[in-house]
Amino acid sequence: MNISTDPWIWIASILSLAILSFLYKENPIFRAAEHIFLGVANGYLVTFYWHRILMPILFRPLFQQGDLLLIIPFVVGILYLTRFIPRLSWLVRIPIAIYMGYWTGVLIPATIQAQIIKQMQGTVLTSQNFQAWNAGSWGIVWSVIIFIGVLCTLSYFYFSREHKGVIGATSRVGIVFVMTGFGAAFGYTVMARISLLIGQLQFLLGDWLGIIK
Amino acid sequence: MKLHERFLQIDRRIIYAILLLVVTLPLVFRSPLKVTPMSPVEKLFEAVDNTPDDMAVIIDCSYAPQIKAEVEPMAIALLRHAFKTRKKVLVLSLYVEMIGLATKALNQVVGEFNSLALTANDSIIYGRDYVFLGWQPPPIVPMLGMGESISAIYVVDYYGNQTDTLAMMKGIKNYNNINILVALSGSSIPISWVAYAQNRYGLRVGVGCTAVSGADFYPYYQTGQFTGLMVGMKGAAEYEELIERRRGVEGRRIASEAMLSLTYAHLVIILFIIAGNIGYFISRRKQRRSQ
Repeated sequence: MNISTDPWIWIASILSLAILSFLYKENPIFRAAEHIFLGVANGYLVTFYWHRILMPILFRPLFQQGDLLLIIPFVVGILYLTRFIPRLSWLVRIPIAIYMGYWTGVLIPATIQAQIIKQMQGTVLTSQNFQAWNAGSWGIVWSVIIFIGVLCTLSYFYFSREHKGVIGATSRVGIVFVMTGFGAAFGYTVMARISLLIGQLQFLLGDWLGIIK
Repeated sequence: MKLHERFLQIDRRIIYAILLLVVTLPLVFRSPLKVTPMSPVEKLFEAVDNTPDDMAVIIDCSYAPQIKAEVEPMAIALLRHAFKTRKKVLVLSLYVEMIGLATKALNQVVGEFNSLALTANDSIIYGRDYVFLGWQPPPIVPMLGMGESISAIYVVDYYGNQTDTLAMMKGIKNYNNINILVALSGSSIPISWVAYAQNRYGLRVGVGCTAVSGADFYPYYQTGQFTGLMVGMKGAAEYEELIERRRGVEGRRIASEAMLSLTYAHLVIILFIIAGNIGYFISRRKQRRSQ
């Protein structure tokens, strides 16, 4: 056992234990650690944004180097703060409208291409998709399962007709695929949470207490 | 109280204590578990491994402290692989709070290699072998802008050097000189890389993600939008296995060390789920009979 002498490791370890104490029950030590975390995180972000964004990208070029074009984003940004002045609060619509317009233009084509068209292509039964599985002749089987799964799941979310007859049958198959997906997602979530616990224990037992190296 | 009723009323603190025990003991006694690399991780390894000399690999370390345990071993394994095979590496983060973790991983791996180096040629030298671009907000700016010019978006690197004056950057101008970008993240950032950088510039994207994101990301691997995929700590352990087996990369394998704990924890959770369900069904049947 080789306990750390680094004060930062001690602070991090004690705060970790304070947060983990919530597993037993809510207590003042947990709450203190929670407040310290929020305070430090906010302070870090504000300082970092000031020194790494506002000063080098906006204030210094605008006020020291005379880059007057930056007045436009500066004024538009300032308009966000008019929300706190009731008489002028309507002005906040201007930066919100600019922001929404920009992001709508940027996001829609990219999202349609990456998340709809390409994903639909991946569902179609082609020899290219069979090979994508890297599973030899089994690639056809996986692709057919995906094809059936997508169609049946979509039919489950088709609410314009009563789920009877063909739609009733396909939607029942669809719910099996949906539940299987939920199960996979839950299994992965369990693995993720246990991994985080392991990571923290590796820190406590290794970096702090020196039991594992 | 009967056994099946006990199953339904186990104090959560007992479950936590049992989990703590089964996770801690394998860590303390260091029992290694053999990991078999799966195809998505192998494809990522091969894509990085086949990077030509005149091209570079970008590693986007966009992981926050809360997912460090899962994603940091991936970053370390990727950096070890790239440095061992003398690939040129560009490191960046898309969000400010992740800069510190990217710096930590980079310093650790560079330190490991330089502590064994005998000459300058063996060493990993900043500006020659790797460049830390730092952080440039908002994320869409570097995603799109680097397609035209990397040094125009990152005029200075994280340490304040003029990017275009660095030796490595003489031949690395834009995505045409990038073989693959590996996005290490717990959010939807890898999909954004596909939507903006891949759709427009044809950039290959590999991914290291948390296990929670795994189920959402597999469809992108199946369509070929992601060249390779590492999911959670297990994905990191598989990559560690590949770089050791095929490239002889040595060093502490943090993710592999955790595999036995992970396996035992899963078994315990499965047992608790089965016990809880048995208890529930027996209780329900008895309740119906009594009615």
